[in-house]
Amino acid sequence: MQDSIETSQAVLRPPDQAGVAEPPGESPGSQTPMIVFDDVTKVYEPSVVALEGASFTIETGEFAFLVGASGSGKSTLLRLILKELEPTSGRVIVGGRELGRLKKKLIPKLRRNVGCVFQDYKLLPRHTAYENVAYALKVQGIPRREIRQRVPEVLSMVGLAKKMSSFPTELSGGEQQRVSVARAVVNGPPLLICDEPTGNLDPDTSVGIMQLLYRINMLGTTVLMATHDREMVDKMRRRVIALERGQVVRDERRGGYRAIEE
Amino acid sequence: MRTKLFFSEAFRSLSGNISTTVAATLTVLIGMFLLGMFIALGSWVLSWSDQVEGQLEVRVFFEQDATPNQINRVGDQLVALPQAESIAFVSSADALDRMEQEFPELVANLSSNPLPDAFEIKPGSASDVEVIAAALEPVPPGVESVTFPREVTERVREVASVIEFVFLAAAVILLIASTILIANTIRLSIFARRREIEVMKLVGASNWFVRGPFMLEGLICGLLGSISAIVLLFLGREFALPKLIPPAIGGDSGVSAWSFELVALIILGVGLLLGAAGAGITLRRFLRV
Repeated sequence: MQDSIETSQAVLRPPDQAGVAEPPGESPGSQTPMIVFDDVTKVYEPSVVALEGASFTIETGEFAFLVGASGSGKSTLLRLILKELEPTSGRVIVGGRELGRLKKKLIPKLRRNVGCVFQDYKLLPRHTAYENVAYALKVQGIPRREIRQRVPEVLSMVGLAKKMSSFPTELSGGEQQRVSVARAVVNGPPLLICDEPTGNLDPDTSVGIMQLLYRINMLGTTVLMATHDREMVDKMRRRVIALERGQVVRDERRGGYRAIEE
Repeated sequence: MRTKLFFSEAFRSLSGNISTTVAATLTVLIGMFLLGMFIALGSWVLSWSDQVEGQLEVRVFFEQDATPNQINRVGDQLVALPQAESIAFVSSADALDRMEQEFPELVANLSSNPLPDAFEIKPGSASDVEVIAAALEPVPPGVESVTFPREVTERVREVASVIEFVFLAAAVILLIASTILIANTIRLSIFARRREIEVMKLVGASNWFVRGPFMLEGLICGLLGSISAIVLLFLGREFALPKLIPPAIGGDSGVSAWSFELVALIILGVGLLLGAAGAGITLRRFLRV
């Protein structure tokens, strides 16, 4: 058991920087970049171009927004990082590993090191908040004692200490999204990707989720977040990568939702 | 530890989807009940046709003045035939005894024994009757005649081969049909939960981790279904069958189906296999996330 955890960590995180918190927003040049897209094109059969020649690098510890209209290729890009899809051409490198060369067998290990948060939460409906978070640890064969300790910890971090035994249907949208964030980070993954995590939430709740993600980023996790939430992007002033019809049209260190406003 | 998790996940979804659990179990139940009836009926019919075949025999009658030498020579010839399963010598005295038992008033009036010495040869199978008869052609010295039930032989052989074919074909069709039926039920249940499977895969569950509980579910449905089928078959055999078939037919004729234990074992094995394999194979399509 212990063995498999060790190797699963090794997929993404070089041993020397395991657990080391990076200051948010900084990009230390010497480290392995977290995500590298090298001229990536994805064409859906027969001829829908979802992503065209996308190239960018996200450094370890960064917080980056991915903006663009629906259908601009944001979700495709995120799914490429999870190796849910294969690029038609180009290379996707996550944590120093080129995904095109990653064996199918190792995909589960990759995903354990990339936390995901989705617009529709994607919680297991018949499992309580506690069990949903625990599931992410169980799939790695982590000992039960450790699970009993880590799950309540992370659930209190997201502010759900009192709702651990509630089922998803008994929770509000914001609470469900908190469970989903807790599940995404309970492994301590070096990378967290979020696909419009605030898309279904009211503005106040969204701010809560954003603060949560910000805190997670402060603890050293690289965060890549696809969003439509203009206010949030403008307020945060973080790195913004803008997609338009599958192409990276803008990439700013401290950008806003729209280029014109700059 | 993992087994424990698999069991808890499997029971959780079994009780969470009562209707699909019931549907899958009933499907297995029906399939296995039919299979069980079928095996019992089929093996009974096969045993019956074996029995009838076993009653066929070739008889070699000797002339009244046949010498022991001639009789021995024919006997040797018969022993050398691989098709002859058993050979019995019935002397004229034996034959008379036999007749006396069956028709005492006929024998009482006889002044001398008119019955010849004879060999009765039982063939290995119905089709061998003619081979044995042909081996004694032309009739050896001392032999009066060779008789065998020509028409009956042919009829029995035809019926037996038809029965064997029908039995096999129906067994295959039944198995295919119940496999498809079970796979379909399982597919519905899995389809209803494909989002769940997607989530499991996205949190980094390996294929086996997702598949385990589902296959266990299939196994449990298979187990429940086949056990109920066995119980139903047992009740049917104990209570319904004696009323349908008078004991005279089912009784001591030496014709019998395969033992109930064997049929039950087959049903259990097939039911479990169908459940687990059905779930495992169906899942493959949904695991490609």
